[in-house]
Amino acid sequence: MNIGLEHYLIVGAILFSLGLFAVVTRKNAILVLMGLELILNSANINFIAFAKYGGMNIEGHVAAIFVIILAAAEAAVALAIVLNIYRNFKHVNVDEVAKLKD
Amino acid sequence: MFSVEANFLDQLKDSIGLFLPETVLIATFLLSLILDLIFRKSRTLTGIVTAIGFVVAGICLIGQTGETAFIFSRMLVVDPFALFFKFVILLSGLIVVLMSFFSKELYETTEGVGEYFTLITGMTIGMFLLASASNLIMIYLAIETMSISSYILAGYTKEIRRASEASLKYVIFGAVSSGIMIYGMSILFGLTGTLNLFDINTFLLSNEVNMVPLMLSGLMILAGFAYKISAVPFHFWTPDVYEGAPVTISALLSVASKAAGFAVLIRFLKSAFIDPTLSSDVAWNTISSIDWQYIIAILAVVTMTVGNLVAVWQTNVKRLLAYSSIAHAGYLLMGVVVMNEIGIAAILLYFFAYMIMNLGAFYVVMLIANKTGSEELDDYQGLGHSAPVLGVCMTIFLISLTGLPPTFGFIGKLYIFSAVLDSGLIWLAVVGVLNSVVSLYYYAKVFRNMYFRGMDPPKEPMTFSYGSMILLFLLAIPTVLFGVYFTPILAWAKSSVEIFFG
Amino acid sequence: MSALFITLFLPLFGSLLLLFFNRRNTELIEKTTLGISLLTFIASLFLFLSFDPANPGFQFLYEATWIESMDAGFRIGIDGMSLLLIMLTTFLTPIVILSSKNAITKSRKEFYVMILLLQFGMTGVFLSLDLFLFYIFWELILIPMYFIIGIWGGKNKIYAAIKFFIYTVVGSLLMLVALVWLGHYCGTELLHNQQGFTSNYLIIRDLAASIPLEYQKWMFLAFALSFCIKVPLFPFHTWLPDAHTEAPTPGSVILAGVLLKMGTYGLIRFNLELFPQASMEYASLISWLAVTGIIYGALVAMVQTDVKRLVAYSSVSHLGFVVLGIFSMTAEGIQGAIIQMVSHGLSTGMLFLCVGMIYERRHTRDIDQFGGLAKVMPLFTVFFGIAMLASVGLPGLNGFVGEFLTLLGAFNSPFLNSHAYTIVAATGVIFAAVYLLWMFQRVMFGANENPANHNLSDVTKRETWMLVPIVVFIVWIGIYPNTFLKVSENSTRALVNKLHVIKFGTPKFTLPVYKDDQLLQDDLIKPTEPIETVR
Repeated sequence: MNIGLEHYLIVGAILFSLGLFAVVTRKNAILVLMGLELILNSANINFIAFAKYGGMNIEGHVAAIFVIILAAAEAAVALAIVLNIYRNFKHVNVDEVAKLKD
Repeated sequence: MFSVEANFLDQLKDSIGLFLPETVLIATFLLSLILDLIFRKSRTLTGIVTAIGFVVAGICLIGQTGETAFIFSRMLVVDPFALFFKFVILLSGLIVVLMSFFSKELYETTEGVGEYFTLITGMTIGMFLLASASNLIMIYLAIETMSISSYILAGYTKEIRRASEASLKYVIFGAVSSGIMIYGMSILFGLTGTLNLFDINTFLLSNEVNMVPLMLSGLMILAGFAYKISAVPFHFWTPDVYEGAPVTISALLSVASKAAGFAVLIRFLKSAFIDPTLSSDVAWNTISSIDWQYIIAILAVVTMTVGNLVAVWQTNVKRLLAYSSIAHAGYLLMGVVVMNEIGIAAILLYFFAYMIMNLGAFYVVMLIANKTGSEELDDYQGLGHSAPVLGVCMTIFLISLTGLPPTFGFIGKLYIFSAVLDSGLIWLAVVGVLNSVVSLYYYAKVFRNMYFRGMDPPKEPMTFSYGSMILLFLLAIPTVLFGVYFTPILAWAKSSVEIFFG
Repeated sequence: MSALFITLFLPLFGSLLLLFFNRRNTELIEKTTLGISLLTFIASLFLFLSFDPANPGFQFLYEATWIESMDAGFRIGIDGMSLLLIMLTTFLTPIVILSSKNAITKSRKEFYVMILLLQFGMTGVFLSLDLFLFYIFWELILIPMYFIIGIWGGKNKIYAAIKFFIYTVVGSLLMLVALVWLGHYCGTELLHNQQGFTSNYLIIRDLAASIPLEYQKWMFLAFALSFCIKVPLFPFHTWLPDAHTEAPTPGSVILAGVLLKMGTYGLIRFNLELFPQASMEYASLISWLAVTGIIYGALVAMVQTDVKRLVAYSSVSHLGFVVLGIFSMTAEGIQGAIIQMVSHGLSTGMLFLCVGMIYERRHTRDIDQFGGLAKVMPLFTVFFGIAMLASVGLPGLNGFVGEFLTLLGAFNSPFLNSHAYTIVAATGVIFAAVYLLWMFQRVMFGANENPANHNLSDVTKRETWMLVPIVVFIVWIGIYPNTFLKVSENSTRALVNKLHVIKFGTPKFTLPVYKDDQLLQDDLIKPTEPIETVR
């Protein structure tokens, strides 16, 4: 069996779904952020796969690199915020951080 | 693969010339960062530097009037449309910086405010890039630049629990929505083989594309934008973040970040999905059979209805204004639904009005919170007497937000409604009008509490500094003045749309 | 023309001027306000004297560009009907200001600012000849009235203020949609002008008959909803009793005297003029609502125990006559409606003043609390009696003229085609006599048993000054209504001619042709000849 574009896209889609699932179901903020990384990496796989198989130009690779960089920046900020939450609430449970309500 | 063209350097030089306002902002960013390190004790220096930087950037923007060009290998577009939004963003940024000088919350609960102003500059750079981005990766970069700064700003008063909660919610919702957006972008890239909006447009015009993935990717990208403009169903963060964040940041998010979101939403739709050959200034034709008009009309109706209905039950003024800003996103989306230049011009005009009146309302909330330490509606009782100037100005802002004459908000709504009626969508205009009635109820609740309740016994009169009053008048007077004479702004908005580049 | 400008802008100038006064100096503030309102009245007198009643068109026209892209302008001018209503406004305002001396005890300065702003808005509504200008004035009135009810009102003021606000805004925002659509349709489909839009009332009025009926119907309904809420026509009247009961006396007088007339004015000015075919289509529906309102208002008034609420419901009943007269679409009916608007402003305004006077003395308006007041307040009884009889429609007083003419119009109307309206409406006159006389008898006559009523003082000099001018006009209109009927006669006839041409193909009256009326048919920013007619 040859590994083609579809396989990459399927992996990407599975990763995306898993990431979204993690974001929705996990309570721990760190795990939510990990789900987020899965979403971003699924996009990366798509970009690279399209660039490789679609006969497209370098743009796909560039896009993937940018996404990786931004993911790192976002994670840094998000972790800092989670740390601050821990200092204020003594836990990082997203559901229980609910001083503000509708 | 990557060859330097002969005129590449010339292009780069031209690009840098047209990148001047952003360059100035970047210089301001760096300068304020360094100054903050050196003069750690000064509490206003970085703010003043930022304000000056904004003014200089504004002057550079004026120099760009009428320019239309691609810069940096078609990564960015400089055109009057982007220019209008940049002005709105810059002006609201400047007003927020000035507001921040009077914010007690900011100065008393944080160790230093240096980074605060630096981050506002960073956010403004992101929004500038977003307003002129014409490449999917550029859009993503710009959104992230703006978002990362705003995540931190939302929780800037980090000792306050609700602020840190706000920033947590903001970062999680924001990161997820931008993750979904980038996934959508990757699919769109796969379908069309390019990241440039104009090339996507050309590709879609000349090739048959599978509808399902195109639709899916379009919706995913739209989700990212909808998050920024806080349209339903991506609005969940809005009330919590606006309530928890410092008032100044809520104001900035509600105006500037929404402006940037609308700029990119309109440009994305117009540049990528509108057939330029079949379109006139009266009606735009969408490529392929995706009915964007229908999708956005539903988005607009749901957004304003949810925003207005939920706002009715709010007891916190900041939260109330948060829902009101959701509702306003709905009104503004009505202009997008029209899908022609009249509609877009109406959006620009409304945005200008929205900027002045919404910043004004948040500013009054901040001044009151400075004195009473509360943003609860119940604590507004009797303020009409103890702070009459604030009461009158707040009434003006709220009447303008409702859209009653003779205020600027009325003119904005009038143009949105006439654009909608122009294109024959009478039902949409009627929905918008009924929503305005609902909004009147909760806005009236605020000035009802200020004037009709808690008058006896009379409270101690509050006093405010002259500086803060001048800024208040600078917002209140245009709200009324432009309600009667707004021709220059209308002309500006119209000309900004006429030369829509691409 | 200058008199018109002064009439319009003097109150605005006055309200801005008051902002600079020290709030403690109430004496000065009150005198200034009174002075401003009297000057405005004098200016409007000049208007009245220089008005040419033979001219069926608009006079004192002035036009200035404002929003070019919407062809909206500052276009003002008056015809007979608007002149009478402006006179009513300028006449009632000084009286209202006099009456607020005792009725308003806190934040007097703000109150006077609001009253003058209100006068500015009301005058503006009656003289704008531009859809947008009209809409802006129309909405401008809401805010001061909302505050007058909400700040200076009675126990339930907040509820009443919000109810008033929401009801009115629902109607007026739908009117805005119709208004924009109308301007757009006339601009693109009929006029083909450059902007694709027009908000010039005079142009739209001339084009109106050529708007297809199906569009007219929708716009008629949107405009009519807004005006009927304001009138208020049954079943949109529920805000009125609350607003009236809770508003302070001056607020009630303005509300009953002038604000409600904005609705009936709008029905004539916009619904009949702009959507003639749709008006004929809906005439019977609206007339039935009006007749129902006449009877319903009277029946509900009968069981009220609060004098003010009773007067409020009597307004619902009386304004039913006005609407019936308007939709009879005959010269007599519309003339009757106009004179009834003025009469109702005077007599109901006076009734509210009288109710306010006893409320200030006794701090109650409950009918059971009173009885035999005639013995301790003889002069007051005379005034109250005149107002009450005028409201009943006693021949010789003003109420009779309006009611008689509207009923006559409805009876002769070629558009209504049924005498049932007149017959049912006429019973309303009898009901009016019943509830008003019964109330008067319970309050004024009988034994003065309640000890609290024993030592009430009679009307003061100030109060006499408020009431005498109203009495003069009540009698004047009752005995010689021609002074006022004549003013609006030709403009009414022009309207009726228009309706007759549409329905029967021939005009009913011959009217003098005026050159300046012709001039306005063209969309001129600056007329080549002076458009002011001074005789």
